Amino acid sequence: MGLNMIVAVKWVPNTQIVNIDPTTGTLIREGIPSIVNPHDLNAVELALRLKEKYGGTVTAISMAPPAARAGLEFIMGMGVDRAILITDKVFAGADTLATSYTLAKAIEKLKPYDLLIFGHETIDSSTAHIGAQVASWLKIPYIYYVIDTEYRDGYIFAKRRLEKKIEIYKLPIPCLIAVAMRSNEPRPIKLEYKLRVKLENPLEVWTNNELQLSRACIGLRGSPTRVEKAVPTPTIPRKKMKYEGQDVKEAVKWLVDKLLEEGLKII
Amino acid sequence: MLNIVGKFDVVVVGAGPAGSSAAYTLSKNGFKVVVIERGRTAGSKNLYGGRVYSKPLEEIYPEFKREAPIERWVKRERFSMMVGGELLTLEYYSRNSTSFTAYLSRLAGWMAQKAEEAGAIIVTDVRVDDLYTEDGIVKGIVSGGDVLKADVVVDAEGVNRLILERHGLVPKLLPRQVALGVKETIRLDKQKIEDRFGLLPEEGLAWFIIGNVTGGLPGGAFLYTNTTTVSLGMVVFLEEACKKVQKHVFDILEDLRTSQPFSDILKDGVLVEYGAHLTPEAGLDMAPKKLYTDGLLVVGDAAGFLLNLGYTVRGVDFAAYSGYLAAKTIIKAHSEGNFKAENLSVYQKLLEESFIIRELRRHRKIAKLLRSSELFTTYPEIFVDVARKLFNIEYTSPTLLQSIRESIKGKTSLLSLIVKMLSLVRAL
Amino acid sequence: MSVQALKKIKITEALNTNIWDVDSRPHITVDYEKCRKLCDKKICTLLCPAGCYTLSDDGILFSYEGCLECGTCRIVCPHEAVKWDYPLSGRGVQYRFG
Repeated sequence: MGLNMIVAVKWVPNTQIVNIDPTTGTLIREGIPSIVNPHDLNAVELALRLKEKYGGTVTAISMAPPAARAGLEFIMGMGVDRAILITDKVFAGADTLATSYTLAKAIEKLKPYDLLIFGHETIDSSTAHIGAQVASWLKIPYIYYVIDTEYRDGYIFAKRRLEKKIEIYKLPIPCLIAVAMRSNEPRPIKLEYKLRVKLENPLEVWTNNELQLSRACIGLRGSPTRVEKAVPTPTIPRKKMKYEGQDVKEAVKWLVDKLLEEGLKII
Repeated sequence: MLNIVGKFDVVVVGAGPAGSSAAYTLSKNGFKVVVIERGRTAGSKNLYGGRVYSKPLEEIYPEFKREAPIERWVKRERFSMMVGGELLTLEYYSRNSTSFTAYLSRLAGWMAQKAEEAGAIIVTDVRVDDLYTEDGIVKGIVSGGDVLKADVVVDAEGVNRLILERHGLVPKLLPRQVALGVKETIRLDKQKIEDRFGLLPEEGLAWFIIGNVTGGLPGGAFLYTNTTTVSLGMVVFLEEACKKVQKHVFDILEDLRTSQPFSDILKDGVLVEYGAHLTPEAGLDMAPKKLYTDGLLVVGDAAGFLLNLGYTVRGVDFAAYSGYLAAKTIIKAHSEGNFKAENLSVYQKLLEESFIIRELRRHRKIAKLLRSSELFTTYPEIFVDVARKLFNIEYTSPTLLQSIRESIKGKTSLLSLIVKMLSLVRAL
Repeated sequence: MSVQALKKIKITEALNTNIWDVDSRPHITVDYEKCRKLCDKKICTLLCPAGCYTLSDDGILFSYEGCLECGTCRIVCPHEAVKWDYPLSGRGVQYRFG
């Protein structure tokens, strides 16, 4: 019994940092380490909670360059049972289609599974495609913006918070849920788990030797997405006004007045 | 309920210079060692001024000079008294150098890597909460309810030493025992660094500045050159800062950076990091009553091993070497069969025979002298004033004695100045 | 952030040049009651090098996000109003040039 769960995680540049070189206008990447996509940590946390409640296993997969090993070791430190790094030069340059195809094929090798848990998007590309596309390749139902989940009678009951109500969806297993950002607090790294990672080196590495995917469907060749044109975003000239006083209430009134002058409507 | 998760010969708390040097030495001698580090990577929580003395590290790591991430060898030593935009500077240049600039984050990372290559296990992202004891004897550490057992624990947790405090081995850290260091790392063209500081490629500068550079707080400013960055920072004694601080410490540092001559020297620079760290300042007066107890050795900043002489600071080499001596102690105690305090007392002996305690003892007096506000305000004012009189000549050129007499008027007497200077020279 | 000669920058701009992995849970908590009732000097607002402590109407406002983990506040607080520890899971500031 229990739920066999697979969590997909992405190793992303830490875009919480915006350090721009004023002379070139480019992002300074020097020494900026990558992190596990924060949304995916919510997915891992949900999986671990479901495992505590219903039993089962949590397997993490990531398609990434070898450096992503550190990210998988990090989530193994949270308590994930098994982690697989899908890494091969032939996977490089993949768009969401090729990425989801590769992930779906890897997940098929992990059958039987009951529940796939994804973060609903990544902080570096924000497409929110991957979960939906993987579910489509696997022909299983999926649902996004999930904040919590229960498992009863062979069904997943996925909770979504809308503005004024909470929706509960009933999905047959296997299915895929994409977890809403900040829907839970990812647990801290545990000494026991992190130590086991170091002692047993349990991380599995899969290349295309294991997956045997056609080169036409993966990597750059399998990626039809083309950026047609990149246009710089229009900049709004700044008004350069500053409230010089000390009083907070005055400051708010000043700000609201200024916004009203700009055409703000208060309903 | 505590969960026992494993057993090692030695658990080291913290993968800084002290912890990794202990782990490296022990692993090389066949001990099963695990280092537990709270940072994402070894070195990611380390911060210091910018310069390391090389000799002790070369003794610990035979391949040090060849492999370590050294930025520049310090060939130019500069000491300045600064008042307003005027500087009186003493400079020493030598082709030979015993110290280098480096990023401590990278240097500590390198040391941890050496320890790992020697066989140590480095566990990152994990914070140690407490020591684990059985019948009063330290038998491991506790982290998030997990216990990791070991025959002996090396505490290299750093200056804040929460674990030692929690365990009652040291009283609560006091403002008078530490100084606060703040540092800006500013990226600057390699060529510009060499041109502006008069350096050949791979040559470095270490520069200490006292005077009105710290917003009236006892302490000093420093500048080090790396390959493509310059570190500019200041250190203020915390007890005096508590009493006298009028302005935010970051703003004091900004005042310095944007004032002459630094604004010119750092022109076109790009700030790439801003950090802060406490530094132990009380040396032997803040060391735990015992640097060892049953099953425990204390090393590095946690033990107060740092020497501040006013014109130079030694922390990394002291820390690393104390870790090295702790390892030697453990090797010896192991051959004698147990890690009770009596066997670990060798550590105290090794420290006393080494430069660490000898230096700290020899320079004990300096700590007090360094805090006197005269040193940081009155004397720089007098000396810079004398220099102005001597060098800014319009018609008459005064004699040295005349200048000194005029400059000290109303500030101090010539005799007291001489006495103070002598006592400073003697302390150094 | 460009360090222009003679142009001072704000502390937030300096902190923004660092690498962070900020925890959603604070690693430091402040007993605001003590700040309000017992403390008149509030030197933490000048000595915390990260500017985590700011004055508010009748007390202190504290935010842990920009904390540089130096430990100054714990030591200089005369009223033991600061409950201090390091962040878990390697979170917080990530020095590259330390």
